[in-house]
Amino acid sequence: MHKGLTRSFLLVALLAGGLISQSVLAADKVTYQLDWLPGGDKSPVYVGVQEGFFEEEGLDVSIASGRGSTDAITKIATGQADIGSADIGALMAAKAQDDSLPVRAVYSIFNQAPHAFFTLEKNGITEMTDMDGKKVATSPFTSSNAFLPLVLKENGMAEDAVSLTKADPGALGPMLMNGGTDAIIAWVTNIALFADQAEATGNELVVLPWSDAGLELYSSSVVASERFLSERPDVAKRFMRAFDKSLKFTGDNPRQAAEALNSMVPEVDVDVATAQIGDTMELVMNDVSERDGLGALTEERVALTWDWVSQAEKLEKDALDPELVIDRTLLEAL
Amino acid sequence: MSLKLPEGRTSRALLAAAPWLFFLALILLWELVCQVFSLPEYVLPAPIAIVEAFFNVEFSRWLTHLWATLRVALMGFAVSILVAIPIAIAMMRSELLTRTLYPLLVVIQSTPVVAVAPLIIVLMGSDDPSRVLITCLLTFFPLVVSTATGINETPGELVELSRSLDAPLRRETWQIRIPYAIPHIFSGLRVAITLAIIGAVVAEFVAAEEGLGYFIQFSTSFFRIPQAFAGLFFLAVVSLLLFKSVQWIQQWFFPWSLPRKSGH
Repeated sequence: MHKGLTRSFLLVALLAGGLISQSVLAADKVTYQLDWLPGGDKSPVYVGVQEGFFEEEGLDVSIASGRGSTDAITKIATGQADIGSADIGALMAAKAQDDSLPVRAVYSIFNQAPHAFFTLEKNGITEMTDMDGKKVATSPFTSSNAFLPLVLKENGMAEDAVSLTKADPGALGPMLMNGGTDAIIAWVTNIALFADQAEATGNELVVLPWSDAGLELYSSSVVASERFLSERPDVAKRFMRAFDKSLKFTGDNPRQAAEALNSMVPEVDVDVATAQIGDTMELVMNDVSERDGLGALTEERVALTWDWVSQAEKLEKDALDPELVIDRTLLEAL
Repeated sequence: MSLKLPEGRTSRALLAAAPWLFFLALILLWELVCQVFSLPEYVLPAPIAIVEAFFNVEFSRWLTHLWATLRVALMGFAVSILVAIPIAIAMMRSELLTRTLYPLLVVIQSTPVVAVAPLIIVLMGSDDPSRVLITCLLTFFPLVVSTATGINETPGELVELSRSLDAPLRRETWQIRIPYAIPHIFSGLRVAITLAIIGAVVAEFVAAEEGLGYFIQFSTSFFRIPQAFAGLFFLAVVSLLLFKSVQWIQQWFFPWSLPRKSGH
């Protein structure tokens, strides 16, 4: 009798254990595709994993690194990932050329352009118009290059007002510090990294963000495959809810966010990542997000973005209805 | 004009030490140049900074990255051997096959893998199989060529003798042609093993979450140039060790296939 009791108790315990592991097994798997290597600017999704925000929503999220926006969009379109981050401009340009591309933007991360001129104080460049006739270095594949002529024009200069050389992204900083170039084009998310280099050579970094010079657009966004949105709408909603929470957490606790990133990618330095998050959050939480809400994709700004992108990519403006790139169901469900 | 080598035991020791001394001198010169011209780290890191960067990364991380690269390189290498040697044997046996396969092989070999790699990742996903395939595309051609050359260079009189004795083709292949091809196969293997590492790194540049190639790319994305250099040297050492391992395997298992040392 006693033995029987123990046995049935054991059975219940086993069953309960089984149920728990069942529920762990039942967590919905989501693959998140980054558009670049892990870094402070990519930390929100790592925060979601480390702080358990995804787990709370019953999600098991794995993160894959990428090699540029088009790479990320391709991997999401082919089903290697469900959702991820990519430049909305790259998505629009891709969709304008092939409207069957099954990927949509669902949430804006950067509501400002990240592109900027970086120069040194001793070069005497303090505003955009000072760039006329200067030597500028950029990396060959950055989306910034397409916007350069537009920004120059917007500021009353000729489209070829600067003499442009292309170099590996890793070489840009050294070129600037050596005096090999007057300015470089880089993203404001890397201000801290370049400022360190400048300081190490006894210089002071000056940053001229293109968003201050008239370039008003969405850039890095959360994009998802149409299949993910239509076949697993509930999973997608839960993911977005947790991501939104993670993004806010990252803004409020940059150091903790950097530590979350570091615990999953130990090569990332916590101090550097914290500084990167600080720089990045300017593009996320600002006047625009105050006005429209975090993650918002307003019709007006989407149209404005396509305006810039179509000009930059030399595409016909009516080649795409930019609204076709957007899916707001996840935003509405937040 | 010939450089006369001094004779005797000390000279032999000097000869053995020469490559190491030269290497050491190069490193010292490098350090000196960095110090004298006070080159900033992101232009050319000094050897000491690189060593420091190497030890700043946790050893377990190095092992993780090393294993990721080594795994792909060795799998690619193994698959190449399994594919290349049968192809070479088949091509020896059939003129038709040689004529149909060879042009395709040349086309594959002349297509830059760096350009194809992203397409392979899109087609096959970003897991090990596509990385192994990328590695194979680099490694199997030198193996096919060296094996085929070896098989074809078997002395004709030996082949004729075996045929006159009615030896089946299988025995002709395994007991005469393959042994003759061993030195050639091993020179192919030596080329292939270093290419395997290159293949694995190319694959990691396109899609990977770990590996020494990924680590180097990652380090430069954070402008940690000394750390990238440390990864590079680690990669070179691994590549060198693998190259040496192929030589050791040949020495242990096929000592007869080594060129005879000119005896004094």
